Amino acid sequence: MEMKTNESLLIEQFDKQIGLIASESGSSGTNRRRQAIKAFADAGFPGKKSESYKYTPVTKWVNSHFKNSSLRIQTTTKSAFEHIDGIHLRTANGQLISTAPEGYGEGLTISSLVEASSSNSDVIGQYLSTAVVLERDPFSALATAFAEDGVFIHVHSGVDLKSPIVIHHDALFENGFVQPRILIVAEKGSKVEIVEHFSHVEAGSSFENRVVEVFVAEEAEVDHVAVIERDSAALFVNGLFVHQAEKSKFRTNTITLGGGLVRNNLNFLPDAEECETHLHGLYVAKGKMHIDNHTLVDHAKPNCFSNEMFKGIVTDEATGVFNGKVLVRQDAQKTNAYQSSKSIVLDRNAQIYAKPELEIYADDVKCSHGATTGELDEDALFYLRTRGIKPEAAKLMLLEAFARDVVDLIDIDGVQEYLYRRLHEILTVSA
Amino acid sequence: MLEINNLHVSIEEDGTEILKGLNLKIGAGEVHAIMGPNGSGKSTLASVLAGKDGYEITEGSVSFDGMDLLELDADVRAREGLFLAFQYPIELPGVSMSNFLKQAVSSVREHRGLDPLSAGDLLKMMKEKAALVHLDPSLKTRAVNEGFSGGEKKRNEIYQLAMLDPKLAILDETDSGLDIDALRIVADGVNTLRSPDRSFLVITHYQRLLDYIVPDFVHVLVGGKIVMTGGKELALELEEKGYDWIKGDASLAV
Repeated sequence: MEMKTNESLLIEQFDKQIGLIASESGSSGTNRRRQAIKAFADAGFPGKKSESYKYTPVTKWVNSHFKNSSLRIQTTTKSAFEHIDGIHLRTANGQLISTAPEGYGEGLTISSLVEASSSNSDVIGQYLSTAVVLERDPFSALATAFAEDGVFIHVHSGVDLKSPIVIHHDALFENGFVQPRILIVAEKGSKVEIVEHFSHVEAGSSFENRVVEVFVAEEAEVDHVAVIERDSAALFVNGLFVHQAEKSKFRTNTITLGGGLVRNNLNFLPDAEECETHLHGLYVAKGKMHIDNHTLVDHAKPNCFSNEMFKGIVTDEATGVFNGKVLVRQDAQKTNAYQSSKSIVLDRNAQIYAKPELEIYADDVKCSHGATTGELDEDALFYLRTRGIKPEAAKLMLLEAFARDVVDLIDIDGVQEYLYRRLHEILTVSA
Repeated sequence: MLEINNLHVSIEEDGTEILKGLNLKIGAGEVHAIMGPNGSGKSTLASVLAGKDGYEITEGSVSFDGMDLLELDADVRAREGLFLAFQYPIELPGVSMSNFLKQAVSSVREHRGLDPLSAGDLLKMMKEKAALVHLDPSLKTRAVNEGFSGGEKKRNEIYQLAMLDPKLAILDETDSGLDIDALRIVADGVNTLRSPDRSFLVITHYQRLLDYIVPDFVHVLVGGKIVMTGGKELALELEEKGYDWIKGDASLAV
């Protein structure tokens, strides 16, 4: 069906569709959708006056003509992470198209969300759409209202998955508009690594608006990596909402190397004591790419630790945006929160907007942030050249070293190597 | 090997003239020392020879091994065999010593028409040359100069010198910040690298280093010009009397 992403049409469409969507886990799911469409209707797509989209104008992008499609199609494209020893899943148009491999492990449930809403209705009822904060971002609200299906991953209590779950998001319809959803629940004391790869797909001006919710229960550990390499015509909005219980650890590494407009909305709520949150990210923006990382760490409880590091390289006419907010609420005494953002601008037509925001209401905390934006270090370049290294090679060495810092923090076999190789390819042309 | 004629150099940004008609001739295999008080232009000379941006050559010429040095880019100068040991070596976080040396050595070898070294041969060479200045071979996995002590940084410069096999090595205040043991290690390394087809230009503020690296000639740089040239004994005289007596002479000479 042809679909305009005009707000009122969307809302109209919602009203028509709501009766058709299988009411997952009874009426509470439907109610949540109604709240979501209301939040979206109140806010609308971010316009010129939106503070949080000030440097990321989306109007032109969302007014393209998209085809609303969440059809399951089979794909055979090779996946970059195929060789990783792990549990491999595949999505097309945001929908799970592969069943989890046989014997993929005790204590782990993987299915589509629709399937889970009948087979695991209690878990779905307890968690689905409860981490997403509808008022935070109109895109997340819209995705919540329209969510049709997606991926459900449930790691049972005490289970340590030795091998990672690798999700290949590798096909989209031409000009497709999809709003996929992922729900990850890591029960008490469990451990899981999840790698997501958004491969380069030629799909015209596609629009992916996704929401991922992650629940990390007491003493559980979740390690997450997302590698985004969509096409330069693609609009990609990535809403991540993480909820952490006591003594849990969550780590994410969001690597954006491709896409036309990419907005990563990364939200973390360490909602109990002694949580650890690590959020790392890297992006390389070339051509006319626009990459925006918006993060929020909401320290609500005492004795938690968070560490944030984002790095970006922009060149040509590309734009990079970083907005990192750390909120330390009054109860969150003894919080340790660190943030750093560094960017390199290689071309005078490229732009970076970086804004760290520290909001602290507790009085016994350790917080720091640092943001730097600049060109490549001239002294370092000169040093390399005095050793006979050609200027292009010297630049490449320094850019790779800069990016490596983030990639080195990824602890999953096969992912680092792939990223080193891709960065080398991408940066070779830029240097 | 190197011939500098009437070299005038200003700082590009504000036009301040630093070198004011410098002349210097270094033959193959010779070791020359340049001494001088702070602000006399010693480090500017080193930077200009290495090809650093930010300086304007207003007059004069520099020929290196028959080439017009000032026409060459910094990296070409290095590949042609000019080496600068930095007074303040630069830290390169994320660039490992082994990758750095691999890139430098292969770039230089390619330029000189030599076959690329196999990984094994390069490793062997790295081990051998690191031993010259008592550097721990495990440093190859570390980032260049990052977290190195002052002494390690200076030894690392001589290590790179040994790896790149230059025709002319300029040592810019290599002795600064070194204790006597480190100084001896650095000097021993340099002395091992002395050869009939390698020249050295040793820039220093103090005579101390020249006890260990014995020069063939000593030049005194004051006010952007070489005002006096002598043998190694000139260094001792300077140590004793300071620079003031020469400064007096120089101002008379202007």
